[in-house]
Formats: sequence, structure tokens, C-alpha cells
Amino acid sequence: MTWQTLAFLIVGGGAFYLCGKKFALLYKLLKAQTGKPPKFSDFGRRIQTAIVNVLGQKAVLQDPAIGIAHTAIFWGFLIITIGTLEQFCMTIYEGASFEFIGQTLYSAMIWSQDFFTAFVLFGVLYAGYRRFFKKPKHLGQSSDANKILAFTGGLMVSIFFMNAFHVLSAHPWFTDDYFISKHLAEAFAGMGFSEDVNHGLYTFFKWVHMCLVLGFAVYIPGSKHLHIVAAGPNTFLRKLDREKGMTPINFEDETVTQYGIANTKQMSWKDTLDLYSCTECGRCQSLCPAWNTEKPLSPKNLIIDIKKNLYKNKDAILAGQDDKLTHVIDEHVTEDVIWSCTSCRACEIACPVFIEHTDKIYNIRRNLVMMESKFPAEVQPVFKNMETNGTPWAFSQSERANWAEGLNVKTMAEVGDASAVDVLLWVGCAGAYDDRNKSVIKSFVSLLNKAGVKFATLGTEETCTGDAARRIGNEYLFQTLAKTNVDTLNRYQVKRIVTACPHCFNTLKNEYGPMGGNYEVVHHSQFIAKLIQEGKLKPSKALDATVTFHDSCYLGRWNNVYEQPRSVIESIPSVKMVEMKQHHDKGMCCGAGGGRMWMEEHIGRRVNVTRTEQALETNAGIIATACPFCVTMITDGVKTKEAVDHVQVKDISELLDQAT
Amino acid sequence: MNLYVCIKQVPDTETKIKVNGDGSGIDAAGIKWIMSPYDEFAVEEALRVKEKNAGSTVTVITAGPDRTVEALRTALAMGADNAIHVELPETADSAFAAKALAGALKKEAKVDIVYFGKEAIDDGAAQVPQLVATYIGVPSVGTVVGIEYNGTTLKCKREIEGGAFEMVEVSQPVVVSGSKGLNEPRYATLPNIMKAKKKEVKKMSLADVGASPSDQKIKMKGLQLPPPKQAGKKIEGDAAAQAKALVTALHNEAKVI
Repeated sequence: MTWQTLAFLIVGGGAFYLCGKKFALLYKLLKAQTGKPPKFSDFGRRIQTAIVNVLGQKAVLQDPAIGIAHTAIFWGFLIITIGTLEQFCMTIYEGASFEFIGQTLYSAMIWSQDFFTAFVLFGVLYAGYRRFFKKPKHLGQSSDANKILAFTGGLMVSIFFMNAFHVLSAHPWFTDDYFISKHLAEAFAGMGFSEDVNHGLYTFFKWVHMCLVLGFAVYIPGSKHLHIVAAGPNTFLRKLDREKGMTPINFEDETVTQYGIANTKQMSWKDTLDLYSCTECGRCQSLCPAWNTEKPLSPKNLIIDIKKNLYKNKDAILAGQDDKLTHVIDEHVTEDVIWSCTSCRACEIACPVFIEHTDKIYNIRRNLVMMESKFPAEVQPVFKNMETNGTPWAFSQSERANWAEGLNVKTMAEVGDASAVDVLLWVGCAGAYDDRNKSVIKSFVSLLNKAGVKFATLGTEETCTGDAARRIGNEYLFQTLAKTNVDTLNRYQVKRIVTACPHCFNTLKNEYGPMGGNYEVVHHSQFIAKLIQEGKLKPSKALDATVTFHDSCYLGRWNNVYEQPRSVIESIPSVKMVEMKQHHDKGMCCGAGGGRMWMEEHIGRRVNVTRTEQALETNAGIIATACPFCVTMITDGVKTKEAVDHVQVKDISELLDQAT
Repeated sequence: MNLYVCIKQVPDTETKIKVNGDGSGIDAAGIKWIMSPYDEFAVEEALRVKEKNAGSTVTVITAGPDRTVEALRTALAMGADNAIHVELPETADSAFAAKALAGALKKEAKVDIVYFGKEAIDDGAAQVPQLVATYIGVPSVGTVVGIEYNGTTLKCKREIEGGAFEMVEVSQPVVVSGSKGLNEPRYATLPNIMKAKKKEVKKMSLADVGASPSDQKIKMKGLQLPPPKQAGKKIEGDAAAQAKALVTALHNEAKVI
């Protein structure tokens, strides 16, 4: 046993103990969570997504420059760990070299150590340049990040120095495989140190490296670098499909007495794994419509702040002292933060480690609304309207079918059941009650008639799908409305539904299943695109205009429908399409999602005006969209910007109706 | 404190009222029923007083057909402790309803404050609070938009004509009818909605409360909707010509002068 063995056992043992203790605490905290985690299945696809996104770094590479730097550091970390492991082994027992793997393989290993050390160093240098000179807004200042970069950079430099002095002192047979370090050795050779000094320096840098590794290991669990452990499992356990419904609450279960989360203990362990996975890259924040219009919500800060709240409560959680738990709403996660979210999911799509920010917000909202009756005052009449009249607007249910007067639109009650028609037209509250959107639904009806599609509506039997109630946190109201609709739809044996509203579309398609409603649901953009493709609609009248398309969140990010609405517009002769700077999955929300349609916007700039400004930048004469809420919000935006005389806001069905 | 709230179930504010076949009342088909919005202020006020005074109870009372129990459930979900349903025919007028409510209140051991909404939004009669106060022999303060509680006295701020306010000081027991501005009624929490479903509603018959159809003062002859609104007419010309045309129209067309 050398002094090094003893020293390593003491230092290494201590470090592993501290690091292990910290990880054990994180694990215990995760295990103590009482919230219901999602169900995990489909392990084949999970392995696939883990390979693509962890080893392949696909999600990280969405942002190419820093993505490449990160990939370099990530792969470097994996490969260099092999060398570090050998180093640990050899420090404990000198004969424990990995040379037993054979000369060729060992040569390759040594070569790869040098290669990846350089690769990581470039990654770190770029990351440092970005953090200190390029300074993207969403990154912010972080001493944690600076320490991590210093640690990583220090590790790499110490490896090169260690290798160089190893070459000078021991002249190993694999000197040539140190294809970078050997040049450094040549430079150091000029200093003319004796072999003993070189050996001493080798030992010194080896210990510098080992201490940095061990120090880093102790530092990681308490820092954002925890993601190196959590992000892999989080990616494996991610929600696999883009299309997702919110998780229902089982109100029949009388043992459940808490709806939503009032404190961080009530989160699920998967929520906490999300918190552990966050590396504070800020990609979520850079796309957040709330943050970009000076609202207090940043998805990044939300995750960091909930994590702080969790750590603040760790003793009470672990000791089971529920009376000592503090509310999840605190000085950082304020109610304004929670109500600023438009549920557009730009944050979730941007997140390289698949954190589901919106789930946290929904669950906090559920507690505020259902347990504490705390929500913006203007929402109360909206809830009441939905409860009594089945629509967020203040109209009687008996007036729901008035829009169709004189249009000879049949109802299911009139045709008998769904077998008599090709498809059920789901009108939605906007189409039924909002004057501007009545014209959209009429255009769509006109298109259906032109194409010879047999359809019927539910007439006055339709009620609100409950989307807004659900996003605002009133799950109970949502389920009441959903059950009413599912009963009606199933009574008429409805199989196929088409709707012009992406919110209704998403709810009917992705959220009615657990309520007993399983239907083939298509959005009118998909339906119209197919009618054009089949030659049943022939756009022949030219439209000499430049059109830009605004993506609806619930169509695009929630359901991956981007191309059909565009193809509908492009089918019109003479139309020139232009894209806004932000489009497809980076498109900015109009501001109406997540129940924000029904709330006042008191803080910051208006989301709809900001998005309208982006549309106006294209100089398009028509802003097209495929969502009633977007129509309303962007129309208001155009009015605010006093552009009404030269810019029109149109639903795609209106454009196509004019062209056919 | 023993707090009571008398409420009425009415058609939802968005209802398009239709007269029934024989013109004897409204067509109830398709109507969504709610607690009269002014009554929500009354329930909220009682709940706030209860929350500030430990040991208090809030009892909601309604008189009407069976469907009105739903309105009681709404009040229970907001946080009321007890509910009483007095069975009263659909056609009852204010006096009959007030007799029934007063009868139920008289059966209670001790009544400190009885809250009402200033009026029900269906018939808009605004008579029941005062009638009940008369029948149970306590003072009544109407159209109240703010109350200061001080021991057993209440300082009520009430809205009077001309946008002015009147301050009235009154001692318990008392009937108070609330108006918009008194408070912001709460939205029931889900645990309370669940609890409200299981709470017992005490049923009382007319005999139990000592009321009978002979208490009815109004006999309904018939009900009809006002004529549909006509489009406005714009009278052109100079002042003299306009005045002349207006007088002619009022005399010949509207036949009011």
C-alpha cells in the first residue's frame, strides 16, 4: 500500500460518502411524494427515444451550435470516465491498468481520451464564450453554471497536463496514442526538468484531476448539473406522444380528498424527476409567450422555484410533518405566475430533457380553483355560464343552433343517428355564439355542401367541451360537461367528428377517451385538405394576396397538425404564402389558450398584439388561421395596430369558400 | 349567532322566457334554474359573519316546488350548515311565500339575522323580505350594500334614490336584504360541493309552517310577453318640422297623445 492508496481511500471514500448521502436524500424526497405518477408502458419506444435523445442528443441539437458543444461534452464525459475509472483503480492498486484489454484496444482508449479531452475543451470554450460574450437573453446569469464550466474546463486541462508529464516521466509504450498530449510534452521537455520532477508533476496533476472529479461528484447533486443523472431517466419516462390529454381526476374515489397540489409533497415523483432534470438552459423561457410579453411567468424560473420550494420543505416532507409544509404558492411562484400560462406548450416542445411544465401549472391551478376557490374574479361568471348554459359565453342553450337558421343544417335528432351521415359537425361555442366565428362555421358548412358531404350537428344538445374549465383548473366542471357530451354522442352512435375549433378538436380527440368517448376526430383543416385532395373541392377563383398563417397551439404543438391548413391556403390559385419569423412549433400563441381567453390581461404587453406585430412584419394582406380564438385575438390585435384597412384576418374555411 | 338566509330559485338570467299554452304561467321546458343572483350576496354575507363569529350557524330556507332543493344545495356548497325546504306551489305570490318562510322561521329556537336578496330576478316583486319581517315582528332594512357589525347592532348602508346612501342602525333580530356591492359571492370549493350533496335538507309542509293557499293575495288572470321591440325611427328636418312630425307620430301611430 502506497501513500496514494491511503490518500485515495480517505479522500475518495469521503467524497463518495458525501455524494451518496446527497443522492440518497434526493431519492428519499422523490419517494416521499404522494401525487399519482403517470402510467408508463411501451418500453420499446422508450428505449428508442432514450437512444435518440440521450445518446443521439437529438432534442439538444434542436439548437445546433450549443447542441454540438453539449454533444461534445456529453460524449467526452462518457469516454473520459473510462480513463478516470482506470486512474482510480491504479491509484488504489498500481497493477490495475486496463491494458489487459489488449494493445490495440488500449491504444484506441488512450487515443480517445486525448481526442475527447480536446473535444470537451472546445465545447467548454464555446459554452463559456456563449455565456460571457454572446449572452443569449434566456440564459441569464448563473454562478452555478460558471462553476460547472470551470470544473469541466479544469478537469480537461488537468488531464492534458497529467498526460504530458506522464509521457515525460514514464515514456509509456502508448506515447504516440497521446496524439495531443505528446506535443504538450514536447513543449514541457524544453523546460529541462529531471524525470523525478516530471514524475512529481504527473502525480500532482493526477491528484488535481482526481480531486476535481471527486469534488464535482459532491457538487453535482446540489446543482443544476444534477441533470446528468436525472435527464436520462426523465427522457426514458417522458410522455411519448405529442398528442396528450390532461390526466383526469377520479372523483368517484372517496379516499382522494386533495385535488391538485397545494404543496410540493403532493406532486408525483415524476414531477420531481422533472425538477431534478432541469439544467436551466432557458430554451423554454425564450419561446414563452408570457415571458416574452413581460408577464411574471418564466417556465425556467417556475421549475427552479418549485425545486427551491421542495428543498425548503424537505425536512417536513421526510419527517411526515404535513402541518409544517408550506404552500407551493410562495414569494416566487405567485398566483400571477400560475395564471399567466396560455398552455401553449412551447416550453415543453423546446425542453431538451422533456420536462412537462404545464402539468405543474394545471395541478397548482386545480388546487387553487377546486380546493381554495382562488382564481381571477372574471372567471367566476365563465364557470357559472358553463355550469348553467353549457357555454362560457352568456347565452342560453336554447339559442345554440340559431346560427344555422335558414341554412338547412340537419341535427342528429332530425336524422336519427350517426349512420345517416358521413360525419358529425361539432360547432363549438365560438361557432354557435360569437358573431365573427358564426361566419367561419357558415363558410365551413358551405364547403361541406359544395363537396356533397352528408353531415349533421347536435343542435341545442351540444354543450361546451369543457376545455377552458379544465385548463383553468376546474376539473370537476370539465368532467360534468364531458360526461354530458359523451352521453349525447354515444346515444347517437357518433363515430366521426369534424370541428373547426382546435380546442374542441383536442378535447374530443385526446381527452374524452377516459370519459367513455372514443371517436375519430378531425380538424376542419384536415377535412378540407382531404376534400381538395380527393377533388371534391376545386379552388378555382384566384386570390391575388399574400397570406401568412398563424399556427394555433392546440392544432400545432398539441396535435402536430401544421401542413394541412397551409396546404388548404396554397391550393387557392395566385395566393402567395409567407411565413412569420416564428412558425410551426416555434409559433407564438395568440394569448387565448389555457383559459386566458376568459381572463383580463393586466400585466405586461398584450400577447395578441405582440403576435399580430409579428404577422404584420410579413406585410401579408391576410392573416389566416384555423382557430376561433386565434381569429378573435388576432382580429383584436389588428384593430389595436390600426391595420384594419389593409390587413384581414380570415379562417382558412372562409378563404377556401370564396375560392370555390 | 343564528343566521338565516331566505333564497329563491329562479330561471337563469340567459333564459328566453316563453308563456305556456294557456297563458297561466311560463313554459318551464328547457329552463335552467339558478339561485337568484341577489340571494348569493345574502348567502355570502351570512357565511362571512359566521366565519368571524365562532359557533355560528347558517341555515338556508326556500319555499317552492321540489326543484328548488337544488338552490339549497348550491347554498350548502357555498358553506351553509343547514337547509330547510318549505313545499309551496309554483303559483304562490309574495304574501303566500312570505307566510311560509315566516312560519318556518318561527319554528326556530332563536333567530338573530335573516338575510335576503333585495329581490328575486324572476318576478322582481321585492316584497318578501319586508313581509317576512312583518310576519315575524322584527325590523327590516332593504337594499343594503354594506354592513358594519357591532355586538348585536348592525349599521347598514343602503342605496336610496338619486345615487345617495342612507345609514341605518338597527338591533337584532333583524331582516336585511342585500344588493350588489354588499360583497363578492364565493365560488364553492369542490370538497364543499361534495359535502353539500350529502347534507340533509329538512322538508316542511304548509301545515308544518302554518300557511295555506288562503294566504295568496294575487290571482293570476293571464301572462303575456311584451310586444316585440320595433325598429327605431329617425325624424329628419329642422327643429320645428321634427317637433311636428314627432307629435303626429305620437298621436297617430303610437296613439299615446
